[in-house]
Amino acid sequence: MSSIRVNPYPLPDLLAALADTQQQQNTSSLDLATGSRINKPSDDPAGAAQMVSNTAQSSQADTFLRSITSLNGLLQTADSTLSSVVTALQRAISLGVEGANGTLSDSDRADIASELTGIKQQLMSLANTSYQGEFIFSGTATVQPFVTDATSPSGITYKGNTGTNNVQIGQNYSLQINQAGSQMFTSASGNVFQSISDLINSLQTNNNIDSAVSEVSDAFNHITGQRVFYGNALNQLQSQQTYLNSEKVDLATAADSISATDMAATSTAFTQSQEAIQADLAAMSRMSQVSLFDYLK
Amino acid sequence: MSSLLSTMFLATGAMAADQGALEATTNNAANVNTPGYSREVPILQENPPVVVGNLTFGTGVSLAKIESVRDPILQLRIQQETGQQGALNAFTGALSQAQTLFIAGASDIGSEISNLFSSISQLSANPASIALRQGVLTAASNLTSTFNNTASNLSAQRSNLDLNVVQSVQQVNTLTQRIAGLNGQITTLQNLGQEAGTFIDQRDVLINQLSGLIDVSEIKSDSGITLTTSNGTALVSGTRSFSLTTQPVSGVQHIFSQGNDITSTLSSGALGGLIAARDQKIPALLTSLDTLASGLATAFNTANAGGFDLNGNGGGALFTPVAGAGSAANIGVAITDPALIAASSDGSAASNGNLANLSAIQDQTIIAGATPTTYYGNIVFSVGNDVSNGTAELQSSQLVLQQLQDQRGSISGVSLDEEAANMTRYQQAYDAAAHIVTTVNQMLETVINMGTLP
Repeated sequence: MSSIRVNPYPLPDLLAALADTQQQQNTSSLDLATGSRINKPSDDPAGAAQMVSNTAQSSQADTFLRSITSLNGLLQTADSTLSSVVTALQRAISLGVEGANGTLSDSDRADIASELTGIKQQLMSLANTSYQGEFIFSGTATVQPFVTDATSPSGITYKGNTGTNNVQIGQNYSLQINQAGSQMFTSASGNVFQSISDLINSLQTNNNIDSAVSEVSDAFNHITGQRVFYGNALNQLQSQQTYLNSEKVDLATAADSISATDMAATSTAFTQSQEAIQADLAAMSRMSQVSLFDYLK
Repeated sequence: MSSLLSTMFLATGAMAADQGALEATTNNAANVNTPGYSREVPILQENPPVVVGNLTFGTGVSLAKIESVRDPILQLRIQQETGQQGALNAFTGALSQAQTLFIAGASDIGSEISNLFSSISQLSANPASIALRQGVLTAASNLTSTFNNTASNLSAQRSNLDLNVVQSVQQVNTLTQRIAGLNGQITTLQNLGQEAGTFIDQRDVLINQLSGLIDVSEIKSDSGITLTTSNGTALVSGTRSFSLTTQPVSGVQHIFSQGNDITSTLSSGALGGLIAARDQKIPALLTSLDTLASGLATAFNTANAGGFDLNGNGGGALFTPVAGAGSAANIGVAITDPALIAASSDGSAASNGNLANLSAIQDQTIIAGATPTTYYGNIVFSVGNDVSNGTAELQSSQLVLQQLQDQRGSISGVSLDEEAANMTRYQQAYDAAAHIVTTVNQMLETVINMGTLP
């Protein structure tokens, strides 16, 4: 026989083609359903490895954002506490100036001194403010930072420490989140409690009132200066939050370009594989139904 | 001058030959769907002529033999490719299961590492909080149990592969016994000068199945064929088969042939693929996980030991054990008291100074020159790459095998059209010969009637 003999039994080829097309269709439909073309590492090994670090980075950014939210609460509490301290000190200064007026009687000055005692109590309670159960002006100690102490000249002693904490809010970016209470309220350049104490004494003894007022004034200036720390920290949180949100968008875009299903292309592939399956099935149903035997009657 | 009787014999001989040929056709049509069947062709031969005087008379036709149509070289190629496919199938099958442990999701090792660092970050905003400290311990124990589960899953897969090895060896032994038996039958028939086509077809099918399980080299000799593995270990020699045995060696079943360990020499067939996955790839994955687990444990323990816990005491270990094979399978959290996390750098309770050292591990190249996340990413890449390469090779091997099968079909496959045509051909020849017999019969009657009176 001179003609080329062909394989008379092509069914296995068609079955293999059918299995192949069905596999393609499964892959396409999974890609469409999950929206990701990497559903197991072998779908794209390099992409899968990139997704590991992309996911880690994006989870890190989420963590930083959570830290920022929680720090925002802490720092705002500190800032508004200091704002109350400033208001209280302003009141103390105007009381002191009023007390320095020579026309006042002893009893008038005693009234002013007693109001100042109230202010001192208020300041102490402000300095002992806590946020989520932790004192915010105790350094890195967990004890109540300011306690009454008769042996101290101001009547109040600092029990916290001078430690400060930093919290990471970005890669290689950490932010100091507290100032020690001693630096805030009992600093040499402006001692809140000592100055109020001295003013009360001066008013009671009608002696050196002006210098006591200027002492309170120093404390006022000191606290105002310290308050800038919290304002700055809040600003930094704000700008870092903006940065992290845009970084998250970048990471999501990168993740999309690594692993997202190309919907248009995949839908087309899905439809094509569906048509191919139908064509395969049609070919299989029509082939081999007849042979020469059918015509030999 | 020949006689009428000899003409009669010639015609009946032709009828016999045509009937024999028709039988071959029938057998072909009957076996159209039999796997491994090679179509048979009847070989018709002219009988030796008779010379009478100056005339030479043909003496008809006889059926010399019925021959199977096959290409032995093609058969060898099919065997090789079947072996290749068997190995790739077993290998990718095994690693496809392994890779499911590394699918990025909520609870793979990569996410659990991220979760641990995330919990530490949260703690640093409020380092004295017992709830947040507990969060760190929970994240740490999630990480260790994911390590444990991943490692034990891989070990379980390895044990399953081990069972498969034993089963495959049993199949190999059954096949070699049957091949040796067929060798005997084929040799006997061939020594008698008879066609052994059907037995050879059966043997080819069995050798093909054997190639799918183990490396097979085929050597033809007078006493049938000899089958060996590619490094020369005898499987079948003539009518003798050599059983393989399995014995446990360092925790897995090794394959022995007459006392020699041939495990590492097998590269083709399902056994080749199973052994590559069982003895190389999965152990390599486990080693990588051990490296990652022990690297993380060491780094965390060192960092924790550099700080102070909530009670102001120096920190201790966070993870146990820290090093050696089996770290991934056995890693655990060393402490249950959340106060023992050494967040503080100076001993004061609300200091978070040391948490920065714990967080920093995330970006340190502490594991074989890579950060924990990068190292884990490399593991994912490696397992994914093995599966995807294996799958690609498997697909191309499938195409090659399909081509070879097509080629075999075009040579040895039964075509019903062809058989139908042959059937008519032999039928017509038979009819013609039968007509001749009738005619000669009439002629003989004429001759016989010549002697009777009208």
